[in-house]
Amino acid sequence: MNKKMKTCPRCDSDGCTLVTQSPVAGCWEVYGCPQCFFTWRTTEPDTITDGSKYDPRFKLDAEKISQYNTVPTIPPLLKE
Amino acid sequence: MAYKDLRAFLQRLKEEGQFVHVEQQVNLEPDLGACGRAVTSIGDNPPALLFDNLFGYEQGKRAVALNVIGSWANHALMLGLPKDTPVKEQFVEFSRRWDKFPIPVKEMKDAPFYKNEVTKDINLFDILPFFRLNDHDGGFYIDKACVISKDPVDPDNFGKQNVGVYRLQVKGKDHLGIQPVPMHDIAVQLRMAEERGQNLPVAIAIGNDPVILIMASSPLLYDQSEYEMAGAIQEEPYPVVKGKLTGLDIPWGAEVVLEGEIIGRKREPEGPFGEFTGSYSGGRSMPVVKIKAVYHRTNPIFEALYLGIPWTELDYMIGLNTCLPLYKQLKETFPEVVAVNAMYTHGLVAIISTKTRYGGFAKAVGLRAITTPHGLGYCSMVIVVDENVDPFNLNQVMWALSTRFAPSKDLVIVPNVSILPLYPAAEPAGITHKIIIDATVPVAPDIRGEFAQPLDPPATAAQWEKTLRELVKSTVKRSK
Repeated sequence: MNKKMKTCPRCDSDGCTLVTQSPVAGCWEVYGCPQCFFTWRTTEPDTITDGSKYDPRFKLDAEKISQYNTVPTIPPLLKE
Repeated sequence: MAYKDLRAFLQRLKEEGQFVHVEQQVNLEPDLGACGRAVTSIGDNPPALLFDNLFGYEQGKRAVALNVIGSWANHALMLGLPKDTPVKEQFVEFSRRWDKFPIPVKEMKDAPFYKNEVTKDINLFDILPFFRLNDHDGGFYIDKACVISKDPVDPDNFGKQNVGVYRLQVKGKDHLGIQPVPMHDIAVQLRMAEERGQNLPVAIAIGNDPVILIMASSPLLYDQSEYEMAGAIQEEPYPVVKGKLTGLDIPWGAEVVLEGEIIGRKREPEGPFGEFTGSYSGGRSMPVVKIKAVYHRTNPIFEALYLGIPWTELDYMIGLNTCLPLYKQLKETFPEVVAVNAMYTHGLVAIISTKTRYGGFAKAVGLRAITTPHGLGYCSMVIVVDENVDPFNLNQVMWALSTRFAPSKDLVIVPNVSILPLYPAAEPAGITHKIIIDATVPVAPDIRGEFAQPLDPPATAAQWEKTLRELVKSTVKRSK
């Protein structure tokens, strides 16, 4: 695995994994981030695949993710 | 007139000059999203596009269809009407067929999508050529699929079985995120399941005939069956087949079907996604779908739609089918309502034309619009015009606004009411003020203004309009 692809271009967390490879071998790979669930294809421009070039307005970190609204909210369990 | 599946509709579009087969090889990104955006700008009636030479997939084995309902011509053909049928005539015909609801479904034993079945080592990417639509989408999306689910408390009630279009983020080989907006039927069902500590089984049908997509994206009442309404609209019973795993009723003609369940009481980061509002949605914590079985035709077509700054295919798809339920629901309470145009951003703006019973009546019609099931999540601005103003003719609407609306009397602000969370101007997300703009002529006892001498067209103007139209046609013919 390409070492660079272990880091999420959007939230910069490590531990990203290979999701799949192109059915025609050698064309592209798709990677996914277990923290922010970003996925990307290796053939996309570096503004998508390279964290240092990713648009800062869309960058994420653990704190921003923790502030996400829950949609829809989880209801309380009914009492038996 | 019914189209048995997506392929039959694409064939009809081809015969009518509303279809383009892109044979050159394309990259999944950015070419497909770019084509979906670009096709909306190439004339008044953009065609459907089919791509089957995708980088990374064997040519001809996988295909992507875009913009299938993305013009008024394609919308008219969806209804089986001539492709040049004007929008208001499409509204009238749609409305006539709507009243034939319900038409019971046709239950089928087998379906073309059952030809190939995968239940182990599922990898959705092998079957569906996913692609990023807009640059800062959080991933690849399934954005034009019918998602089917049942009422967990009343599972045998066919009318309560829901068929809806919800955005699905592809997070892994068999792992999706889903957006059930709280106002949508699937959120009602998920809530019931989650209150009981259960998962919610779902079937996801991709690549469908156009009529079921139009009904699945229409805000029908909770217990109205999208399938039985599709039967009314296509004037033939709609064919469905049972899901092997879930027992849900699935559109017979689908290209690919996924069966699985929404995991109860679980949320994960989702998005952002470029939305129909022309903005990205932002990220939120949303439910998760686990896929357990996949069925597909041989060489299946992945149908998707581009959405972004209006107008895109989505605006055609959710144009008249948003107007109709609002119109029918308003008319139940107020028979004076003549027509509803809720085609702008899925009805965030709605224009209602109505007769007025007495002074203040138009404001009540506007207030009723924001309390219809769809209005609870939309209708942030409701413009009410008189019966002689065509709400589909924006020149007429602007005339009514510029001459009949008195700012000191005719603006109603309803504070802090519900709106869908995607509404960019909400504060906080899901809450907004809404406004009713009464652009009707005030009637007794609301006597005010200078409306006593209305101007009517000269006596034979309507007749002359017809004659002149015919003269224009014959002049064009002669000059050819």
